[in-house]
Amino acid sequence: MTQRKRLSNTQSSTQNREEDDDTTFTQPSTSQVQRGLEKVTPAQVDQKTAEVVQYFLVKDQKKMPVRRADIVKHVVKEYRNIYPEIMKRAAHTFDQVFGLKLVEIDAKSHTYILINKLETTDGASPINSPANPKMGLLFVILSVIFMKEGVVKENVIWNTLKKLRVDPGKKHEDFGDVKKVVTDEFVRQRYLEYVRIPHTEPVEHEFRWGQRAEIEVSKARILEFMGELHGLEPQSWSQQYREAHPASNTQPGTSSQR
Amino acid sequence: MKRTRSGGDEEAPRQNGSAGGRRGEQQPQSDGDNGGCDFGPADLPDDDNDPGLRREIRSKYRDLINSVQQNREDMLSPSNNKLTEVLEEANKLFKDVRQAREAALDAQLLVVATDLGKEKATQLFAEGNTFDPTAFAEHLLSFMGLNRLEDGEDEQPNGDVVDGYLPKDAWHRLARRAECCFRTAPSFHYMMGSFHAEPPPPKQRIERQRKAPSKEAKRIMPTQLKKMEDSQQEATEKEVERILGYLKSYYQDDPTSPISYYEFVIDPSSFSRTVENIFHTSFLIRDGLARMYLDNAKLPCIAPVEEGEVEAGGSQSRKQCIVSVSPKIWKELIDAFDITDTMIHPPNTQTE
Repeated sequence: MTQRKRLSNTQSSTQNREEDDDTTFTQPSTSQVQRGLEKVTPAQVDQKTAEVVQYFLVKDQKKMPVRRADIVKHVVKEYRNIYPEIMKRAAHTFDQVFGLKLVEIDAKSHTYILINKLETTDGASPINSPANPKMGLLFVILSVIFMKEGVVKENVIWNTLKKLRVDPGKKHEDFGDVKKVVTDEFVRQRYLEYVRIPHTEPVEHEFRWGQRAEIEVSKARILEFMGELHGLEPQSWSQQYREAHPASNTQPGTSSQR
Repeated sequence: MKRTRSGGDEEAPRQNGSAGGRRGEQQPQSDGDNGGCDFGPADLPDDDNDPGLRREIRSKYRDLINSVQQNREDMLSPSNNKLTEVLEEANKLFKDVRQAREAALDAQLLVVATDLGKEKATQLFAEGNTFDPTAFAEHLLSFMGLNRLEDGEDEQPNGDVVDGYLPKDAWHRLARRAECCFRTAPSFHYMMGSFHAEPPPPKQRIERQRKAPSKEAKRIMPTQLKKMEDSQQEATEKEVERILGYLKSYYQDDPTSPISYYEFVIDPSSFSRTVENIFHTSFLIRDGLARMYLDNAKLPCIAPVEEGEVEAGGSQSRKQCIVSVSPKIWKELIDAFDITDTMIHPPNTQTE
């Protein structure tokens, strides 16, 4: 046991310190994985990989990020010594079979999400699935934050929503408890960050983009839509335009979409 | 120009503060817990320890912090110079700051002012077009198909700014257009649907559990009450009446010979029965159904009161006395009166 710990500490020193309930799990070293793979049949590894893939897909239905600790605890279990191999294969399956990308959004707590690898087409999606109205709500909030340089007082958001006939204090036809959707659901999905501003009386919060939004949402596309709405060129918001096109090539909406 | 001013707003007072010799010297001390303790008495004016003055300074600081927090929105507007005024005011106050508590308030004001300064600064950063959330909301409403012509009176009767109404699919329309901004993984669904993982609501069980104890409680309560009545009040009344019956029958047997009180109440076989008899007999006296008197030998005697006399006896002034009896006295009385048998038979033996 002690030897194993020492081994793993020296070999993969970067990611061995775990927080909270992840403490029981230490990332196995490459050599450990090699030795572990010798003890199981390829079919067993495939089986575990398939289980992890399914776990992710089901978890993704609600867009909640998946933590490594949960994968190990609920799915990988006694195969934890070959965990890196299983994750590698799962990521490969998502990439090749589903056209999705497995992204680690938080290297500290080892949290993962799935995003779409395929470039979205302009206009309506080819799949005729019913649109989720919450995406519209999320879009409004993310846009305001983005256009306001990344941070926005909650009041600005609530006031904007009120103008759109969405009152955070009342039940909404499409969203139900708006305040809860925005400050709880979107936050847990990591679309938004909702942080208390220190030294405010009464207590005030501010919104930022969450880790998922940074990866999943295209600032360039938002700016395009913004221009469309206002009847302006996206370039007229120079600050935002530069942020949306960090490679600073002036072609909108081509290579550098994030 | 503007940008430098906003920067100056934040920094100028702090620089002034450290430039003044005295203040530069005091600042590190007032940060510590024992600020104000190690001042040499020589270089300090007396008012440094005047509590009234200290309070005044703290109060002024609080007012200043309050005013910033209250007027935050106004102060944010680019044309408003209130922030500069506040900082100048704070600078004046800081001249008299000597103790840690005041310094802490000064620091708090600095936090509030800096936050405000930061926000003012971000306004200035916006080159090109500034973004106005209100205009944005208006454009969105148009996109979502707001019908501005029709009257939306019954949509939101107590809404504030309602003109026109949104179609039912307004948010769907926006979501569909906004979809292309998201590289969201399409969520996966079972073709045949999935079962509901939620357990059925345990309503029934709760109801059953609640009903059961309430029934039991109902069953217990009335029986307890009946017993209480039986054993306590009614039993006493019955016993009193029974004893009155005995008294009357003995009296009628021979109205001329007095009935000795002790012979009447004492049960030679049981001390507790004796006490009970004394207790019940006392009710007869109280209700005026029997009377007691002393015979020639100064021994207490008891006699029933005739029907016609009851009322008259009630109006007479009453005397109270306490009959006490101990097992020792009880035995002595039995010997003295030579009592061999009880005159009041206990209720259960009497029925046989």
